[in-house]
Amino acid sequence: MSDKFIRAISTDEIAPGGMKTVELNGHEIVICNCGGTYYALARRCGHMNAPLELGTLDGKFVTCAMHCAQFDVTTGRALSGPVPADMGNESPPPILAAFLRHVDMLMKHVRTESIRTYETKVEAGWVHVAP
Amino acid sequence: MDTEARKKALQYFFDKVVGPMGFKFTPDVELKDFLLEQEVMLEAKHGIPFCPCQPMRHDRGRDMQIVCPCIPFHREHFDAIKRCWCGLFVHKDVTDPNSLPQLSPKDVGLE
Repeated sequence: MSDKFIRAISTDEIAPGGMKTVELNGHEIVICNCGGTYYALARRCGHMNAPLELGTLDGKFVTCAMHCAQFDVTTGRALSGPVPADMGNESPPPILAAFLRHVDMLMKHVRTESIRTYETKVEAGWVHVAP
Repeated sequence: MDTEARKKALQYFFDKVVGPMGFKFTPDVELKDFLLEQEVMLEAKHGIPFCPCQPMRHDRGRDMQIVCPCIPFHREHFDAIKRCWCGLFVHKDVTDPNSLPQLSPKDVGLE
């Protein structure tokens, strides 16, 4: 095995469809078990840096828990941006409405970027990652 | 965003939802591709993949009823015409979607 790989977790630490965070060489990495195939990607959402392991993994797609941006874990490619929040039918108090308008103005400039992926390798019951 | 990658992702997610409801993607591959592309564009603009053939009313309650796949909100009509309004989904037994008559809710006794 090439030196660049680091032993990260044992294969039985994540059930299929699950995710787990590790820190390797200073990189925060989420390891995903996609039906027995392991993928590793940067932990932080390409939208607003939320930790992706708190989201959901469905097939090879991870959905961020914060604003529901989605990424392909095999490529790290951003597939969709944030989903607009439901603010309900009632108008918020003026001070909150002003704050929300300010946040909305800022959020319009936030792009959802693709995220980095890392090579993985399974050997002797361990998932190895090349950070 | 990568349109082709997003189309594949939407297809994956939608397939899991519509299958248990007795629907499948239209066998018309060209139509399916076109409609999914429109949804990707709508999602890029609004954050939500709305039905490409329905107007938005800017009333969240009503607009959420045209989020694809909108089958649960219009099930009676779709079951009667064996397809959804835009034709992205058809009943599982449909092999020739072009042969399906386009009937209004009134035509099938729903209004």
